[in-house]
Amino acid sequence: MIARVADHSFWLGRYVERTESTARVLQVTSALALDAELPSRRCWHPLLIVVGQEADYLARFGRDALGDAELVQRYLTRDEKNPVSLARSIAATRENGRSIREVISLEVWQVLNELHVFLGSDEADAMYEQDRDALYGRVQRSTQLCLGLMRSTMLHDAPLDFVWLGVLLERIGQTARLLDVQYHALIAEGAPHAVLETALWLSLLRACSGFEAFMKRSRGKVTGAAVAGFLILEPRFPRSVRYCVTSAKERVAAICNDGELAGDETVAKLEALEGMLRAIEPDELQGARVHQILTHVVNEAHATCDAIGRALVGLDAPRMVQNQSQ
Amino acid sequence: MSTAPATLPAPAPSFAGYAPLADTYDELFSGPGAARTTLGPALTRLLAAPPDELARAQALAEISLLNQGVTFSVYDDLRGAEKIFPFCLVPRVIAAEDWRRVEAGIVQRIRALEAFLDDVYGAQRILGSKRIPAEVVLGAKHYLPQLRGVRPPHGVRIHVAGIDLVRDPAGRFRVLEDNLRTPSGVSYVIENRMVTKRVVPTIFGAARVRRVDHYPAHLAQTLRASAPPGDGPPLAVVLTPGPFNSAYFEHTFLARTMGIELVQGSDLCVDDDNVFLRTTRGLVRVHVIYRRIDDAFLDPEAFRADSLLGVRGLMRAYARGNVTLANAPGNGVADDKAVCALVPEMVRFYLGEEPLLADVHTYVCAREDDRRYVCEHLGELVVKAVDEAGGYGMLMGPQSTAAERDEFKRRIEAEPRRYVAQHRIELSTCPTWDSSRRMLVPRRVDLRPFVLTGPEGSWVLPGGLTRVALRDGSYVVNSSQGGGSKDTWVLHDDDPGARAA
Repeated sequence: MIARVADHSFWLGRYVERTESTARVLQVTSALALDAELPSRRCWHPLLIVVGQEADYLARFGRDALGDAELVQRYLTRDEKNPVSLARSIAATRENGRSIREVISLEVWQVLNELHVFLGSDEADAMYEQDRDALYGRVQRSTQLCLGLMRSTMLHDAPLDFVWLGVLLERIGQTARLLDVQYHALIAEGAPHAVLETALWLSLLRACSGFEAFMKRSRGKVTGAAVAGFLILEPRFPRSVRYCVTSAKERVAAICNDGELAGDETVAKLEALEGMLRAIEPDELQGARVHQILTHVVNEAHATCDAIGRALVGLDAPRMVQNQSQ
Repeated sequence: MSTAPATLPAPAPSFAGYAPLADTYDELFSGPGAARTTLGPALTRLLAAPPDELARAQALAEISLLNQGVTFSVYDDLRGAEKIFPFCLVPRVIAAEDWRRVEAGIVQRIRALEAFLDDVYGAQRILGSKRIPAEVVLGAKHYLPQLRGVRPPHGVRIHVAGIDLVRDPAGRFRVLEDNLRTPSGVSYVIENRMVTKRVVPTIFGAARVRRVDHYPAHLAQTLRASAPPGDGPPLAVVLTPGPFNSAYFEHTFLARTMGIELVQGSDLCVDDDNVFLRTTRGLVRVHVIYRRIDDAFLDPEAFRADSLLGVRGLMRAYARGNVTLANAPGNGVADDKAVCALVPEMVRFYLGEEPLLADVHTYVCAREDDRRYVCEHLGELVVKAVDEAGGYGMLMGPQSTAAERDEFKRRIEAEPRRYVAQHRIELSTCPTWDSSRRMLVPRRVDLRPFVLTGPEGSWVLPGGLTRVALRDGSYVVNSSQGGGSKDTWVLHDDDPGARAA
């Protein structure tokens, strides 16, 4: 496998996942804002923090715009200057796919390309004005279709491992930041009305596609500690931090076993993170400790991405391969 | 037993009023409202298609191409801007007998061109014979004297060729030019066919058309067969300049359909005169490079030092016979537009045969008589720079302004070797769907068949890229100049009644 191809595969995975996550959070927040009886800013400001664009948004539109629901949504969907807007994420997804067009399957490419063409169409403009929920839904379905098609139409070998590694690392960051921002807001506000608090936790679970899965595990009891425990530690929920860390470690190990990557540093990082998560007791998940854990998770996910980049791009002394069929 | 439809479709209003241009061959019609009988029953279902069906199919085809991202990039446009290659769903149809003649002519031409290249980069017998002017050959921009004495594995140089043909008013195919370096367009041949089958399945099914989708398998086989002799299965790759190249779609298409790696220059390196691919596992030996970058960019050590696209040391590896480059560097000397005029002489000299394919008489400005004639008749001629392609750097005399003619006259006087001229051929037309007027109009077409050549000989893909000048009155079919394309149907030559029986 060509190192450049591995790099594009990894970023393809990250952008697909980021696109889906952004669309989902926009959809869930729009629904929350309709009946939560919260100040608009309390609904929309956290999104800007989650996607890491608070500073950019403030610099461009000012503090008063933090509660401008329309502006925040436009910024996160169509804004060409915002590097993580849906438009830009989808363009980046397609560009990575196009750069390795011969690696991804025709089916996957067609979905990516159609989504890109759709988002630039009059149809999408009209949908944005008249039925935004459907637009966010369509973006999510296309990206989910893309991830499903990858698994069902591509070879299960190194390029797909790299795509999936990108998906998982992006997902770790998304889940951790969503939970962190919400937790922080609730702690800072003191205990709000119980009904409202429940609504906010449920909204968070929906933003992580975890509402139904959580309910099955918790049998309907919604508390902050239970939600945090579920999103961080639940080993069988495919978007929990632990699940993603374990899966990412397995993907890196598979890549290394194939001899495709000298990934010792990456494996070591993910193993350390996995060990840290395993040692957490559910009753630890209170107050500032949650923030501390999540900050560590986000930082380690970043460091892992850097380590993969170094291993790929910085391929120091190339090893000669005599027999390709090894 | 075949059953005739209970009721025939209403007499086709789409085609009823179709009138071919005067003094021009039309691919489908022999006269106003009269379809060519030589095409047999293949056209019956097409001619019965009402305007609604054609309009719907055309719209479907365009959506399909857009969604699939079948695009090309245009230079001088926004950097990297992608466009759909405009497509007209009305096919260009070629009778089996016509195709047999084209095929034989092309194979003969490639044999002569291969012999010429082997000679020019070897003994240069033809120059000694005085049959063709040495200065035209040795002065060609793409002649690479440093390759003299280098013979590629199995002696094959033109692994992939695209021969541009036009059809004159008598219906005779003539060679307009050869593309022996990195001809593109074959992916559109295959994509156009897929779209045709999707949007007009019954029309397509009613004709008996030879398939084109086995081209990638033939290409892969040609590349493998051309590898340097050695143990084990050879590794072949496609070398692309990257996503900003106008033909990037095709590069990915070919790599994908052949199942081989698409690489960029930086993915390759040369060690001890062998070429290697940088993989996540280390270096892997490469035996064959189907390169889609120009000679000048192949190797910064041998050619342009500023090339970021190429591979340092590649030409050393090539000269040692350790890697096959398809096509071979230096082929440009044979598809130079001035040298092209000399191919009939090559056929006679190397093969002892008469050319089977006619060509278009070419005035070579390097010859004084020709130059004088060209400068005096600029208003009637098409003038081309010998080393440009894609419709760039040409003068369409009959449509030019006095200022443009003066400019070209100045350029020709300054650099006569760089220019050739031809009388404008009344290119044949083909009925073409005009979406805004919802009717068929005659538009000019050319044809680029593709030929693969390996150690075992040549194979011509039955079909080719039919390019169409979509603008009324235009003769320029290049995609970079507003041209589009059509599916090209080469008909099976057995009795069409046999299948129905």
